[in-house]
Amino acid sequence: MKPHPFRRTAAPVVASLSALALVACTGGSEDGSDSGNGGGETEAITAEQFEEAMSTPTELTFWSWVPDIQNQVDMFEEAYPEIDVDYVNVGQGAEHYQQMRTAIQAGSGAPDVAQVEYQHLASFRLGGDLLDLTPYLQEDLSAAYPDWVWSQVSADSGLWGIPQDTGPLGSLYRTDLFADAGIEVPTTWDEFAQAAADYREAMPDSYLTNMPGNDPGQFVGLLWQAGARPFAFDGAETVTIDLDSPEVLQVVEYWQGLIADDLVSVDPDFNDQWYQALANGKYASWQVAAWGPVFLQGTAGNTSGLWAASTLPQWEEGQNISGNWGGSTDAVLSSTDNPIAATELARWINVDEEPATAFAEEQFLFPPSLSILESEEFLAEESEFYGGQQVNATFAEISETVPTDDFGWLPFMDFAYSAYNETLGSAIADRGDLVAGLQAWEAELVEYAESQGFTVE
Amino acid sequence: MTSTAPPAPAQPRPQRTANTLSTLRRREARAGYLFVLPFMIVFVAMLIVPLGYSGYLSVFREQLIGGTSFVGLENYARALSDATFTGGVARMALFLVMQVPIMLGLALLFALVLDSGRLRLQKFVRLAIFIPYAVPGVISALMWGYLYGPDFGPFAQLGEATGLGSPDFLSADFMLFSIMNIVTWGFIGYNMIIMYSALRSIPTEIYEAARVDGAGEVRIATAIKIPALRPALVLTTIFSVIGTFQLFNEPNILRTIAPNVIGNGYTPNLYAYNLAFVGQEVNYAAAIAFLLGFVIMVVSYIFQLTTSRKEATR
Amino acid sequence: MTATASTSSTPTSRGRRPGAKARPSMLLTVVMLAVVAYFLLPLWWLSVASTKSNADLFSSFGLWFADSFSLLGNLGDVFTFQNGIFLAWARNTVVYAGVSALGAAVLATAAGYAFATLRFKGSTALFAIILGSIMVPLTALAIPTYLLFAKVGLTDTPWAVILPSLVSPFGVYLMRVYADGAVPPSLQEAARVDGAGELRIFVTIVSRLLAPGFVTVLLFALVSTWNNYFLPLIMLNSPEWYPLTVGLAQWQSTSQAGSGSQALFSMVITGSLVSIVPLVIAFLFLQRYWQSGLGTGGVKQ
Repeated sequence: MKPHPFRRTAAPVVASLSALALVACTGGSEDGSDSGNGGGETEAITAEQFEEAMSTPTELTFWSWVPDIQNQVDMFEEAYPEIDVDYVNVGQGAEHYQQMRTAIQAGSGAPDVAQVEYQHLASFRLGGDLLDLTPYLQEDLSAAYPDWVWSQVSADSGLWGIPQDTGPLGSLYRTDLFADAGIEVPTTWDEFAQAAADYREAMPDSYLTNMPGNDPGQFVGLLWQAGARPFAFDGAETVTIDLDSPEVLQVVEYWQGLIADDLVSVDPDFNDQWYQALANGKYASWQVAAWGPVFLQGTAGNTSGLWAASTLPQWEEGQNISGNWGGSTDAVLSSTDNPIAATELARWINVDEEPATAFAEEQFLFPPSLSILESEEFLAEESEFYGGQQVNATFAEISETVPTDDFGWLPFMDFAYSAYNETLGSAIADRGDLVAGLQAWEAELVEYAESQGFTVE
Repeated sequence: MTSTAPPAPAQPRPQRTANTLSTLRRREARAGYLFVLPFMIVFVAMLIVPLGYSGYLSVFREQLIGGTSFVGLENYARALSDATFTGGVARMALFLVMQVPIMLGLALLFALVLDSGRLRLQKFVRLAIFIPYAVPGVISALMWGYLYGPDFGPFAQLGEATGLGSPDFLSADFMLFSIMNIVTWGFIGYNMIIMYSALRSIPTEIYEAARVDGAGEVRIATAIKIPALRPALVLTTIFSVIGTFQLFNEPNILRTIAPNVIGNGYTPNLYAYNLAFVGQEVNYAAAIAFLLGFVIMVVSYIFQLTTSRKEATR
Repeated sequence: MTATASTSSTPTSRGRRPGAKARPSMLLTVVMLAVVAYFLLPLWWLSVASTKSNADLFSSFGLWFADSFSLLGNLGDVFTFQNGIFLAWARNTVVYAGVSALGAAVLATAAGYAFATLRFKGSTALFAIILGSIMVPLTALAIPTYLLFAKVGLTDTPWAVILPSLVSPFGVYLMRVYADGAVPPSLQEAARVDGAGELRIFVTIVSRLLAPGFVTVLLFALVSTWNNYFLPLIMLNSPEWYPLTVGLAQWQSTSQAGSGSQALFSMVITGSLVSIVPLVIAFLFLQRYWQSGLGTGGVKQ
């Protein structure tokens, strides 16, 4: 959900069409467990095949909810005049996936290329609905991205989507309100809890932060930071659901304390009330992904210059670890009739310099590729909204602190997130017993997984 | 059904009359089928076939792992012990016994007031009450959603300005009432018009006779008007029963602003939708929808039975 | 069931309301005006809110105007956003509602007339089945219909919305009751004796008698298709085919999710206002038809 923001690029991975080195790309994934997905090994395509496919009149359908992505599509059509792309926005997040699922189930009307967030790749892979892009790429992209990003798109010796943006988690806070309340920017979660109490005392009408009960993405990002690895899927029939690990409990119990003592608010996020509250200073900080800074600029324009960005508070003094919340890929559906052209569309708009730069600069998606993340121009940009801070640089650094070990997902995250809202999420919203809510969430997930025929570990 | 045999016109030769009659009959029957046919074709294609397909789906189970298998009535058994489903049905039953009497009672009252002829601005009042019916459920839910807003909604603003405070319309405790209000707002006028039309078609002579006998307006209302409205009341009640159990738009829209209050199974219809589109359990969703149809049928039937028994004992 | 007795004309009683008896009551009028206030309040709010900018929407009192008047700007946004897709939605809504309502009313009128006045084997059973189908929950149909339509390539086309909307069991019921009262059997018999075919009887004689009922069914079908959200939500993928309800709900969810820092609230509100205006006007002009057709539907069973 919520794609977002930032800028600048250099030519990432020069598309060396001639150098059909092809690397027979295993995609850089370590575990070679043979999955049932994607059929047998497909031969890598040759340069001739590629040239032929791209110069044959072809129609592609592309579903995405990134604003103004039509611009990138236009660039693509200019680069490949024979390819005609029909871009459709069928809805955002859950709606988009529902449409995809019904179209897949119906056996017609599915797009060739679709935006898919990292956590949903597994669920579409499960039905064999995603194409392994490896044989259709002329180059190995694995070195172009941070390891943690690459591990999100590659699994079971396959590559299942081209990264479009990411959401490493940081903190945004109101410098003026912090000063008014006389508190320092907390660097550890312990300090944060103390700050929440102090802030509340100083400013009885507002809160240090808000913990929504309807945003499993944010919560899972915080679990990610704490070192929890609650989900996994082996690509076949076994899922791991581990929500009673010490790391998960640490996070849940921590927020339980803040919520029970009324030290944080528990408003649902991304609705009109919440927007207004952000603009009005009801929350003095927001633990948000890298797409947050520009998003905030748009929603709380009246508070320009009053914000600053920093890393998340840490669990241990001196640590610097983050997690990820959101971000998307463009994936190719296995039902496509034109896998070469479809793969090139997904690759080109996210990797070629011009469209990728536009994503970062104009649509403000936080760039996943190292070439942009390391570009001077991108890092040096100063943001007025953040009092002249180089916010890009802050989040680029944060991106490096996302743990590189594989953070896994369940092949039914839409169910998992919707179940969250009714269990742990509603415990948060009601200021109830979070641990009980957590247990209920785990129980629901296990029950669902078993009823769907998975082996649960 | 319907009209009794028309009296045969007096004809001198009875044999031919019989022939003509049976020809006419045959022709009439053929015309009957022809007139019904277009509707029936669409009816079968758009209703019976999908319903049959849904019934077919409901006896299978498709797992993400392991594919499709025939399970007989297992999905139905599961639904009956599924607390989310039964809870949703119970919530709708509560909705039914609270909202429907209020809505229909007010609609009846308004219809009687309009019919009494003792109102100024009668036309305006009638139209104003009826207008919400023209507002799509989606839009009325959006509107009321803003009005209910706990921080910036006008009710909350008024509550704060007057120092009285206002209830949190979107909280778990209030949500069902808030939805009841939206539905009532939208459908009172519709029900009122049905009842009002029925009132208008009562022959005036009856009232005059009653007045001659010394009956007052209230007495006329209870003794003549309301009994005469019985069919209209039965009709509106059955529609309300059906509408209540199929509630979907309002909770689905309010979900975006109260995500933790309205869950997947807040109403049975919402549950079926979410099962099919979020949980990918199309087969189970089909069974839920079938059971829901069954519940609606039973409730409507019981209602009809009790009203007609009352009628009989009267 | 019914019939024979009510030979001639519908049991309406025009020209009643004995003016002598009914003195207008001030108290009653005041009470009813308070009731009217409740019904108009949300619409008042909607009208006021559509004159506000996004910022004013939250910073000013909801039931009164803000200092700045942004209605024109909002209207401009509504009609130009995403290349004026709102107009396409409006057009779709009109087409879907118009075609479906007309088709549904014609089908229901023919069938209702036949059930009411023509004798044929199985008509009672057929009618009972049609009546029973009113109780089928829409989700029971929407999902299988989607799957079936997908097999024949009808999803994401206007037909996917129009075809299912052609079925109006309630319309058949209403027309059956209406025809029963409005078409005197003697008239049919006379025409038959004169040698007129059933089709001709229907087209030349009966159709005129059924006109008010027809309009009522048309209005019902029109409102229900105009207001339909669930069916097009499932059936359509392409925004250019959306009706207003689905389009506005999508704008609303887009602004909720804050895509691209576009806050569309004022646009959703203004768009909502624009989309209900035509129906409200239609109600103003057609209200007598609600009454005439419904009167018979409610009186008899």
